[in-house]
Amino acid sequence: MESDKLQELWNQQGGKMPSFTPDDILLKAKKQRKGQYISILVLMLTVVILSVYAFLYAFNQWNSFNLGLLLMISSLVLRVIIELLSIYRKESRLIAMDHNSYHAYLKKYYGIRRVINYLITPVCIITYIIGYTLLLPYFKEYFSQGFYTYIQVSGAVSIGGIIVLILYSIVKEERLLKQLQSSKKKSK
Amino acid sequence: MTEQDFNQLYHAYAPKVHRLCLGYSSGDLDLANEWLQETFIKVWNHRNAFRGDSSIDTWIYRIATNICLGDIRKIKKQVIVKEELLTESITEEPVNDEGETIEKMYSCISQLSEQNRTLILMELENIPQETIAASVGLAHGTLRTRLSRIRKSLLNCIKHGI
Repeated sequence: MESDKLQELWNQQGGKMPSFTPDDILLKAKKQRKGQYISILVLMLTVVILSVYAFLYAFNQWNSFNLGLLLMISSLVLRVIIELLSIYRKESRLIAMDHNSYHAYLKKYYGIRRVINYLITPVCIITYIIGYTLLLPYFKEYFSQGFYTYIQVSGAVSIGGIIVLILYSIVKEERLLKQLQSSKKKSK
Repeated sequence: MTEQDFNQLYHAYAPKVHRLCLGYSSGDLDLANEWLQETFIKVWNHRNAFRGDSSIDTWIYRIATNICLGDIRKIKKQVIVKEELLTESITEEPVNDEGETIEKMYSCISQLSEQNRTLILMELENIPQETIAASVGLAHGTLRTRLSRIRKSLLNCIKHGI
């Protein structure tokens, strides 16, 4: 039968099993989990330190230095929290949904990612830049000219780097969204 | 799930998941290995989330196909593989060699929609149709009709390149 030929062909394919063992996978799985816990712990600690700093010092002696610092750190923390929540949400769906529903979910997910990429992220970056600019007069006053120039240059480079990284991930996600949309159209 | 249970689960399902991934990656062994590993990492890390609503094999195949579907790099590579193979199918004479026919099969599978690809790959791996239906989210009757249509179009593509 014709159909059997297809099965025969499928059975002929190579595809040697990989050399890793279940123990190797367990080791990686545990490492991955540990890494996730550590990132959440670091993030929580940052939020706690930021809150303590804000209540003990910043709000008592309000000046543009405190404001700048708070803006910079909170914009970063907000962006990271949103990123982690987004990853967690996707992963929890990955293990729970059938293929069809997951396909539909992925399209919705990348729609939400668009809001994060095109609205929340620019707001975070602008807030970060405003915060950084507020710090500059203090740096100029307290540090030498050479060190001040270094802060300016390294600040600009790191902001540029963050923007490039975010743009790269936006391009990747846009590509995936297009693929998902075109594969749906192709469905017979 | 104990580590021993995981071990048994791996030996029971890894070969099928691996070949499923291989079909998704158009024969790219490295990518298939990576997805296999990722599938079982998720199985272990989310073992407490498995509540037995479906059978364990359905759960594993769901994770595997969702990983393949959701991998950005896969889609990038697949587009490249597909384009290369499509060019070959236009320029080359009908294939005789087994290896080339398998390449052609991968190319034809990669032209199917995401869902149809999942259905045929699972079917070719002799995964029970009830499990396939549950993994994909289709009624059994619909699945049977769909599978027969996919088989026909796949054979036609392998034979004639369309």
